[in-house]
Amino acid sequence: MFELKKFRRNPDVSWRLIEGQAVLVHNREGEIEVLNEVGSYLWEHAGEPLGELARNISRDFDVSEDEARRDAETFYEDLAKSGALQPVPEQ
Amino acid sequence: MSDYFPEPGSFNGKPAPLGIGQITIDVGGIAINVAGIQPILLEPLQERYAPFVTNAPPNHRVMLEAGSPRYLDHAAGALLRLEERQDGGAPILVSHNFAARRKGKLGLLRLSAPADAEDSLMAIENYLRWSLADLALDRSGFIFHAAGLARNGRAYVFFGPSGAGKSTVVSLSPGYRVLSDDLVLLVRGERGWRAATTPFKGTFPQGAKDRGTYSLRGLYRLVQAPANAVAPVPLGLAVGMAMACCPFVSDPAKRRDKLLPLVESCCREAGVRELRFRREAGFWDIIAR
Repeated sequence: MFELKKFRRNPDVSWRLIEGQAVLVHNREGEIEVLNEVGSYLWEHAGEPLGELARNISRDFDVSEDEARRDAETFYEDLAKSGALQPVPEQ
Repeated sequence: MSDYFPEPGSFNGKPAPLGIGQITIDVGGIAINVAGIQPILLEPLQERYAPFVTNAPPNHRVMLEAGSPRYLDHAAGALLRLEERQDGGAPILVSHNFAARRKGKLGLLRLSAPADAEDSLMAIENYLRWSLADLALDRSGFIFHAAGLARNGRAYVFFGPSGAGKSTVVSLSPGYRVLSDDLVLLVRGERGWRAATTPFKGTFPQGAKDRGTYSLRGLYRLVQAPANAVAPVPLGLAVGMAMACCPFVSDPAKRRDKLLPLVESCCREAGVRELRFRREAGFWDIIAR
């Protein structure tokens, strides 16, 4: 299973939360991503306990906690693949 | 063949100018002096940038030198390659026909083919674009891949990916002053955002431009469609779309970090709308409403 706690926002990605939407500018390629409301929430809280995030999403967006958790895992995996999130070194 | 990058520290020697000619170009109040111009290049430079020549004290000065005969590989007909690196804290830009460094208010531009006026003009143009990207940020502004048109003191700026219709919008707008069909300078002033003409070569004749800045009336993201219509764009999405049209956005991080809040401010204050248009001048009717 995807270990969320091992990832954090890549400091080489400039970002800004604008009216609830996170705008990400990647390093090097200059690629731009604009996240939707749920994605922006997850981006802003990357690295926090997934169970808590899923509970909050379930409460605010009319979706089951299990579904919110699965979607969040997929979302974080995609961001890790794109380089927007990066692994946190093992202690 | 492989790419050749200047050795670290190789820009630190005493400059060896190609000639004694010089010209100062004003873009939206930012004056850039090009010095060390070889005789073969002086007249073409004066001709290309005629509406923008100024006697104002420069904000930046670049000296021309002879460079390596080649830098980055470049196949005929391929997209222009520009690569930026750091050398001792100073940015270096390398392309197929030049290498340049900027350090504070001074720049060095090494030309691969100084005897070739057309090739040298292209290198200087790319140096100016690169420098202006940073000089504009220092004045709370940014350069923007867009077409700009002005009427009655107000500027309308149209942006979108390549092929979206920027040059078409210009060609469909007789009676409007052309800021550019390629690159517009946007600067935050005391009374809001303003758009300035740039001297950069697009498909529109350079000589038809004038030097001017205009109050920014609106930003329009171009989408070709069967019928003309305008629709507001949510601010976050608008900022993302606009950032994608800012040149030299990828490096370095401090440029992006300065640029993002400025683009947000511009989009928020001027407003971004999607303009669906069908390549005829009727789109002005719905913009003017």
